Amino acid sequence: MKPFIALLLASTLAHADTVIEGHVELPKAKAAPVIAKRYEIVTKGGVLSTNPPAAIVYLEGGFAKPAVPPVRQIVQKDLVFQPSLLAVQTGTRVEFPNRDDTYHNVFSFSPAKRFDLGRHRPEDTPVPSQVFDKAGLITLRCDIHEHMRGIILVLDTPHFTISGTDGSFKLAGLPAGTYKLKVWLDSRTTLEKSVTLISGHTTQLNFP
Amino acid sequence: MNPLRAISLACLATAALSARGEDLLDRADEALTFAGCNGQVGAHLSGLLDLEFYQFNGDPPGLLFADGHELWNSRLTLLFDAQIGSHVYLFAQARLDRGFDPSAGPLQARLEEYALRWTPGDDGRFNLQAGRFATIVGNYIERHQSWENPFINAPLIYEHMTELSDAGPAQNRSGVGAVAEESKYEYLPVIWGPSYATGLAVSGRLGKFDYAAELKNSALSSRPETWDAGDHGFAYPTLSARLGYRPDMAWALGMSASEGAYLTDQARAGLPSGTGLGDFKQYLLGQDLGFASGHWQLWAEVYEARFDVPHVGNADTLGYYLETKYKFTPNLFGALRWNQQFFDSVPKGNGGMDPSGNAIWRIDTAVTYRFTPRSQLKLQYSLQHEDQAEAALSHLVAAQFTLRF
Repeated sequence: MKPFIALLLASTLAHADTVIEGHVELPKAKAAPVIAKRYEIVTKGGVLSTNPPAAIVYLEGGFAKPAVPPVRQIVQKDLVFQPSLLAVQTGTRVEFPNRDDTYHNVFSFSPAKRFDLGRHRPEDTPVPSQVFDKAGLITLRCDIHEHMRGIILVLDTPHFTISGTDGSFKLAGLPAGTYKLKVWLDSRTTLEKSVTLISGHTTQLNFP
Repeated sequence: MNPLRAISLACLATAALSARGEDLLDRADEALTFAGCNGQVGAHLSGLLDLEFYQFNGDPPGLLFADGHELWNSRLTLLFDAQIGSHVYLFAQARLDRGFDPSAGPLQARLEEYALRWTPGDDGRFNLQAGRFATIVGNYIERHQSWENPFINAPLIYEHMTELSDAGPAQNRSGVGAVAEESKYEYLPVIWGPSYATGLAVSGRLGKFDYAAELKNSALSSRPETWDAGDHGFAYPTLSARLGYRPDMAWALGMSASEGAYLTDQARAGLPSGTGLGDFKQYLLGQDLGFASGHWQLWAEVYEARFDVPHVGNADTLGYYLETKYKFTPNLFGALRWNQQFFDSVPKGNGGMDPSGNAIWRIDTAVTYRFTPRSQLKLQYSLQHEDQAEAALSHLVAAQFTLRF
């Protein structure tokens, strides 16, 4: 039994030690959206916070889907999607709880997933959710609050991360081999570099 | 270009662009959003481009003014919203179109709305607004723009011309004049569309209740040329108020009331001696209901209105509508609306009584297909019946393509 545990430990450590880290040059921050409230006689809330730019860094390759579909959340709170940018692996269920004291809606016309969850209240159970079973970019919107926008990038890989607001990123626990490392910056811009990962090594890679 | 062909081309182009077009318009939207003062000031410019086609038998219905039985209309609406800190909000709306008679007039640009709102607290219990803006009465206003409205036209009560004029005592029907098509614009509906009159408003929410009151320069039924304070002045203000109650998020109930003089200077010469324009008022009581759950929405409004008519007395009318919308798929929704309006009798000169208008009902049906989150095509059919009208039954078929940016 002991040699098996030792082998498993060694294998896990070796995997965990295979790392890519680096820096992405991020685009400029966008202006925060303005809430159109001209026909609401009761208004609350003022200036919305700006979402700092971030990149999604992921390792492209043929990876197995997880046995148990992961579950993630995007909350609708203070009239924005939080987080406004989410990366998930195909097959992930994303829940959309409403944490405001008003109706919300979530819909997408994106080719990768077209859906409309209808109007939902904070107390609604089960929490409205959607399974994202096809890779691609999903733009989330709210039919009631037109300024609300969120993005989900659905990926065929479990190896992804969202960069820090300074552009730094680190992907750990990677399998050795030759892959493409991609950086998604926005709907028009995805950068990529070929990378060969050696087990137990840390590879430095910067974009551009 | 044939109007239907233009709408079809717009739809085809949008469908072909689809995801790319969506992305392009999203980027345009971001480019038209501005921020300053460390994010404490935000401004956003957006708009609607509408291409509309109407075909009807008989006279053009409602607020449509046209020769013949077809009407082609295009309209550009620009909307500006600005937030300054947490407490100050500014908005404006400008339109470029051919006005209310698209068949004849040249393109004209109008500033329809401009207002400043001050919200001193963070809980929304008090807001003060000044400028020229849509009325706070009822619940239709929040969906009167083409993107939000499930129909191409407004509910009957907002657009059906009664036999009452603001230009003075009419000649037929015991002083209340039957509406002649060529002079239809001189007559009044109970509420003139969104009624973008000028004035002040206060509003707020206290628990499950919300309130709003406005002091405007013209009555709810008044025509657009009276909405501007510079042209019409503030000599005969109209006071309107609404009290709302939300038992929960799904339901919204409201009661509205309004009182104000509705005659214009044109009427002054024909007034009974010893009276002035301020003595002839429009009174209105309204009840509204809204419900929403999942993909289903429902709205209803009932209005009772009384007009003091010179030499005649009180002309009373009651109108209501029930409207529902259901979203079948993310792209497709349908809507159905039942409208009805009744008129009470007014005294005839010889001592008898005469109805002050023809009872009317109208059923509106519409389907909307959204190609993208920013473009949609709406098709509408309406059937209208008016008692004692030349053609008792009339039909309206309409199409509207809207691009939102």
